[in-house]
Amino acid sequence: MQHFVLEQALNLLIQNGSIDIKPLESKVIRFTLVDLLPDVNFICTNNRIFVNSDTSTSSDVEIKLRPNVFFALFKGEDLTDLLRQDKIHIHGDVKTAQLLVDLLSTTELDLEELLSQYTGDIVAHEMGKTAKKIKQVVKQSPNPLEALKDGLSELLIQPKVSKKYTNSHH
Amino acid sequence: MSVTILETIPLNKPMDNTTHFGFKDVATDDKQGLVKGVFDSVAGKYDLMNDVLSFGAHRLWKRYTIASSNVKAGDKVLDIAGGTGDLAIEFSKKVGESGQVILSDINAAMLGEGRKNLINQGIFGVDYVQLNAQYLPFESNTFDCVSIAFGLRNVTDKDQALREMHRILKPGGCLLILEFSKTDSELLKKFYDFYSFNVMPKLGGLIADDEDSYQYLAESIRKHPDQETLKDMVLEAGFGFCEYHNLSGGIVALHKGIKT
Ligand SMILES: C[S@@+](CC[C@H](N)C(=O)[O-])C[C@H]1O[C@@H](n2cnc3c(N)ncnc32)[C@H](O)[C@@H]1O
Repeated sequence: MQHFVLEQALNLLIQNGSIDIKPLESKVIRFTLVDLLPDVNFICTNNRIFVNSDTSTSSDVEIKLRPNVFFALFKGEDLTDLLRQDKIHIHGDVKTAQLLVDLLSTTELDLEELLSQYTGDIVAHEMGKTAKKIKQVVKQSPNPLEALKDGLSELLIQPKVSKKYTNSHH
Repeated sequence: MSVTILETIPLNKPMDNTTHFGFKDVATDDKQGLVKGVFDSVAGKYDLMNDVLSFGAHRLWKRYTIASSNVKAGDKVLDIAGGTGDLAIEFSKKVGESGQVILSDINAAMLGEGRKNLINQGIFGVDYVQLNAQYLPFESNTFDCVSIAFGLRNVTDKDQALREMHRILKPGGCLLILEFSKTDSELLKKFYDFYSFNVMPKLGGLIADDEDSYQYLAESIRKHPDQETLKDMVLEAGFGFCEYHNLSGGIVALHKGIKT
């Protein structure tokens, strides 16, 4: 389910023109979120990205980052700064890596827009109780969008061990 | 440029040996005719029965399929075994005027129901083709997306059908197979077995006056390859990548293949 959310997010960025992946046509990018998510491949093809968990195939370039950096990205920290501070590691075919850096550093993650596109009932169906609790928290929160952002970023990364919704709500 | 439909290919070609029709072994050449009988018989009540038998869940599974497709404006999409048109309706909204959707099925009665549904919804841009999934009358490298929902288990030679789907997809094109599958949960399995073999055919008898067809549908689900086997078949057919997502605990799985 995390892959579904990630794939939706990336393709939305392509469709609304935030990123242009044409230069990465036919490239496979291995994405590692250290200690948290199993590795995934981003398959860039036909002007879209497919997120695939079968990483037995080879990739052109690898991108590796720690969860706190990923969170920082979601919370709006500047990507170029993170790259400059060496917090995101990129290895592999130099040309593809350069294209990827170019792409990432010109990307503006508009999370509000992304979340506004979610089909809530699919997420609710597949994520069951946790998603229902998120809905409750969101309803009760004075700032629903912020609550939704927090909830989804957490679900994206650690749906099972998320403690946030297990006991009483904040 | 719109999709060219090549000259008619027979819906059935002679084949050897035997195959399964539900739990029965039948001559391979006879299976298509028997499947046709089932869907001729259920066509008129198909949508109602789907809602009743899946408690409406088939709508969510289909929505997940559409959302996973990454189909966008301008795309060419072929829905195989599309029946009453649920996927075609949603695809046509996604591809817009610049794209093209073809709703196809081997069965004229099901295709007719599909056409009726689309027209009732004010959708006129979709094309309809009666075809057998094993012989797709399209040029190679034509479609951005090919889908088949709850259809593959009825196809006699699934490997051939998968190779055909691979052929007509563009490089980078995406295959979506939504189909009943195997659940790992013992509890869910017990409930599901009881439901499909005891309740489903009875409901089929009561609502659609057709217990036998729903008995076949339940049996054909058990005969269908499990998640991993189907994934291997997709890769074997030539797809560069394939993965699946279990829905409702694995009762249904969505396989997604990418042509490289
Ligand atoms: C269970 S219905 C699914 C209809 C629709 N896709 C849905 O999800 O509601 C299965 C469909 O597969 C079609 N079918 C069976 N064998 C086929 C074949 N070899 N080629 C194309 N369609 C086939 C049947 O006619 C029937 O309409």
